[in-house]
Amino acid sequence: MALSPRQKQNYWRYSQYALLALIAIVLVIVADWGTLRDKVFNPDIIAHQFPGVITVALKNTLIYTALGFVVGLSLGVLLALMKISSIAPYRWISTLYIELFRGLPALLVFIAFGYGIPLAFGLRLNNYVTVMLALGMVSAAYIGEVLRAGLEAVPKGQYEAARSLGMGHSRAMMTVIIPQAFRIVLPPLTNEIILLTKDSSLVYLLGMSVAQYELTKFGREGISASGAGLTPLVVAGACYLIITVPLGLLARHFEKRAGARSRK
Amino acid sequence: MTSHSAPASVTIKDLHKSYGEVEVLKGIDINVSPGEVVCLIGPSGSGKSTLLRCVNLLETPNSGLIEVAGHSVTDPDVNIDKMRTNVGMVFQQFNLFSHLTVLENCTVAQIKVLKRSKAEAQKIALENLEKVGLADKAGRHPDQLSGGQQQRVAIARALSMDPQLMLFDEPTSALDPETVGDVLSIMRQLAAEGMTMIVVTHEMAFARDVADRVVFMDGGVVVEEGPAHEVIGNPQHQRTQLFLSRVLNPTAQ
Repeated sequence: MALSPRQKQNYWRYSQYALLALIAIVLVIVADWGTLRDKVFNPDIIAHQFPGVITVALKNTLIYTALGFVVGLSLGVLLALMKISSIAPYRWISTLYIELFRGLPALLVFIAFGYGIPLAFGLRLNNYVTVMLALGMVSAAYIGEVLRAGLEAVPKGQYEAARSLGMGHSRAMMTVIIPQAFRIVLPPLTNEIILLTKDSSLVYLLGMSVAQYELTKFGREGISASGAGLTPLVVAGACYLIITVPLGLLARHFEKRAGARSRK
Repeated sequence: MTSHSAPASVTIKDLHKSYGEVEVLKGIDINVSPGEVVCLIGPSGSGKSTLLRCVNLLETPNSGLIEVAGHSVTDPDVNIDKMRTNVGMVFQQFNLFSHLTVLENCTVAQIKVLKRSKAEAQKIALENLEKVGLADKAGRHPDQLSGGQQQRVAIARALSMDPQLMLFDEPTSALDPETVGDVLSIMRQLAAEGMTMIVVTHEMAFARDVADRVVFMDGGVVVEEGPAHEVIGNPQHQRTQLFLSRVLNPTAQ
């Protein structure tokens, strides 16, 4: 007996559910729960991570991210404005900067700042300054590109209307174009903050004191200290999610709001 | 009520404008007296919008002279921002600032450019919003308004600067048919109050009833100009006759 299109669709759907359930069951049966509990989700070691993982590591990750973001955003705005400038050398400098810092792994930039600058100029920067510059200058390249796209997405008529009302170029940019560009780029900008949060783990390259540990370093040190599997890293990972998941939700919220506006 | 400043005259002499090889304006001469309403009509691509945009220098002419209220706009050293505060511009696509409320749209340039106090700017903005019948929408954002309402706000925004001259670039072309009338009646009222107006439009009834003078352009030149009822009612030039017969009777063979 032939199936109707609706019946076929239902069979297809239920067989996919069945497959997913089967995979889950196999994983549960195959996994070594005893070892997992000891080495990955060990409650004693989890308890041992507190309160340091919050008061030191999470706090430092937030501080490094914030420092990097302040520099990244300020420099990013400058790069975006330079890239759409009518002055050609500004455009060249901005393009060169963006291609350079976007093309290099953040790891290399950290090494350059941590070891290159002391070697080249003989000055040892404060760790926080180094973090701020290294994280900020890498993220500025991405943020600059995101902002440039946002500035170009603001309809030309907005600029013309602002100029027609007697605003000069800078006034029109500050009052009309940049605020609208920011609304457009809020979702991708939130993604940049998430990336920055994770890149802050590279701070370990600079050789931090215990009080300066951020989440990843704190987790790795926890592993060496306890000698008992991956549990400290799981705790650190969960702490990253505490930061990044709300940011992701925020980005989705902005996207929805932007979508609701543009549909009208 | 709104126009505290005296209406301006406009003088355009031998105006040329090219985009690369393409000459869009081939020597335009138009004089507009204070308080006069001039409609620019003509087929698309005739250069009428470009001409209008040259008057407040949104487009830079290649040669020729434009004077507004006796002050040269085309002088390379003109303070264009200052000049533009005297010239209101209304766009086909409204171009309201989408991140600001209706009231803020009407106050932002008063505060930032004319340096009026916030209270004074709001008072003037509300007067003009009242005039276009939208004072009750002051707290809304542009995307919460219909096209016709947005265009009326755009007119109020321009009027809030106390302009001496208003430029309209196809102000009703992007509107739903039933909202066109609201916008046109405001423009009609503005004309009756003595504002100098240059209007690019396809609304022949408006041009006939409200304009003092109609200028028909085609191919970058002024083909025919004269009193509105004469140019529209009894066009002399063949190109004008052809254009008007197509616009007025679009379904005729």
